[in-house]
Amino acid sequence: MYSPFDFNEAISHRKDYVDEALRGGSPVVGLTYEGGLLLLTVRRDQRKVYEIYDRHMFSAIGKQSDIENVRLSSIQIAHQEGFERSPDDVSIQRLVGFALSPALKKAFGEQFTVPFVIKALFAESGKTAASDLFYVLNYDGEFRQVHGVAVVAGSQAAEDKMLERLGEPNASQSREDALRQALSAWSVGAREVLRRQIGGKEDEEDLLNPLRDIDEAEADGVFLRDELKNGKLEVGLLERRANRESRFRLLPDSDIESLISEYR
Amino acid sequence: MEITGDLWSLLEKSGHPITRSVAGNNQSGAHGSSSVTLPRPNDSHAGGGFVETHGTTVIAVKYDKGVINVGDRRATAGFSVMYDQSEKVLAIDEYTLMAISGSFARAMEVVRYLRTSFKLFERTYLQTMSLEGKLSELAKVVRAGIPDALQGIGGFIPILSTYDQDDKTGRIFFYDGAGARFESTEFGAAGSGSTQIRGVFDYIVKTKKPFHDMNREEALREALTLLDIAADLDAATGGFSKVLPLAKTISTDGIEDVPEDELRSLVESIESTYGQRSLPHRP
Repeated sequence: MYSPFDFNEAISHRKDYVDEALRGGSPVVGLTYEGGLLLLTVRRDQRKVYEIYDRHMFSAIGKQSDIENVRLSSIQIAHQEGFERSPDDVSIQRLVGFALSPALKKAFGEQFTVPFVIKALFAESGKTAASDLFYVLNYDGEFRQVHGVAVVAGSQAAEDKMLERLGEPNASQSREDALRQALSAWSVGAREVLRRQIGGKEDEEDLLNPLRDIDEAEADGVFLRDELKNGKLEVGLLERRANRESRFRLLPDSDIESLISEYR
Repeated sequence: MEITGDLWSLLEKSGHPITRSVAGNNQSGAHGSSSVTLPRPNDSHAGGGFVETHGTTVIAVKYDKGVINVGDRRATAGFSVMYDQSEKVLAIDEYTLMAISGSFARAMEVVRYLRTSFKLFERTYLQTMSLEGKLSELAKVVRAGIPDALQGIGGFIPILSTYDQDDKTGRIFFYDGAGARFESTEFGAAGSGSTQIRGVFDYIVKTKKPFHDMNREEALREALTLLDIAADLDAATGGFSKVLPLAKTISTDGIEDVPEDELRSLVESIESTYGQRSLPHRP
């Protein structure tokens, strides 16, 4: 006999499984700036920020196979829609709300399938800065729309710290300022992830953290210097004034270099 | 959801018309008759039945930095001028131009198809589609239109121009109605006025110099003059005295429109130089 208790338990087991698998992911920061939107993260080998359509990009934490599945589905749906209707009709709202979310929810709810391990951040560049937006899509199909500032990380604590660092959205800031701010938010999120990995508890004073005695800015510096030795900073941009059909481009190495030169 | 990464198979599955015959002779098989009754957009011409809108003359020539494409602005349906502002030279991606002649309806769908298909490929596989791949995609859609073309609708002939980044050279490909592809060393032309001027290209190459040795202005001047001759010899071709033609270049920097000022001054110079010569001489 199948009782409500079993259902709750089953769901919570699946939730624990996915949460645990997501925990170590390198966070992603989404910000608006005067010229458009950016997604910033630090990666190892595999690319993490992808173009979906003319005005859309995406990044995620999770298992690579699941990220790839969501990425390819998104691209396919967007292009079919863009061809059969028009590129202007391709929207994140439809993509996430109509296609991806139901599929993820279904996979999460089915007892004998492996749930998706993914937390995705989509960005859409609108006609005006006011219509730029982000969508955060969770492994269980839940999603929410956010304006100005968006993050995904492996734990709620990390996301909270990142959002706190980012503060209020500022759509009129320069790209350079936005990048610096995003990198700083990434750093505080990734430090929280690391703290948990080496055994720190959620609400506990982080006695195990080797950086606990120095101030935040300095800790960021030490941490980033170390992370950027093995990792690669990756930034995707959707530029409103792009002279191309597609507004997406990856920030080239030369621009990345000037951003991270102080951590060399 | 099943992932294919290929627009054609997606559209086949969703039953999009680009993958199917409009005339429908291979679907129900009920009637293979050649008379197709569709609403007539323009009733001003004599003769019954549906007359499709066609693009007229388009020209592609090489020049020292790449390829130039030129087209008049006219689209005709039978003896009627449907439109005098049509754009028949269209960018497919950053380095690929397609000049279209024949059925407007089909050609515009094909342009949209190729644009989307190339983008889908690039975003899916994180690399640009190879030149060979792009040429095959175009052949595929031309081929799929054969049943309709045989019934008298949807037939179109494209010229594909591109810049080969590996060889640092422009390339021109033209097609026949069945999707056969040919590469041209110097030039390509399609549309109603193209047969009349075909030999002129050879004459220019043999008596002046190959197009790929010409600079931009020289090649553009030849292409515009050719367009003018096509307009003189073909009733459907618009020429350039009333509406400026459309000209685009592809070079290592990508696709650029030839600015209107430049076109206007070239057209005026061609008309003032040669315009009077074709008039009967009166002593």
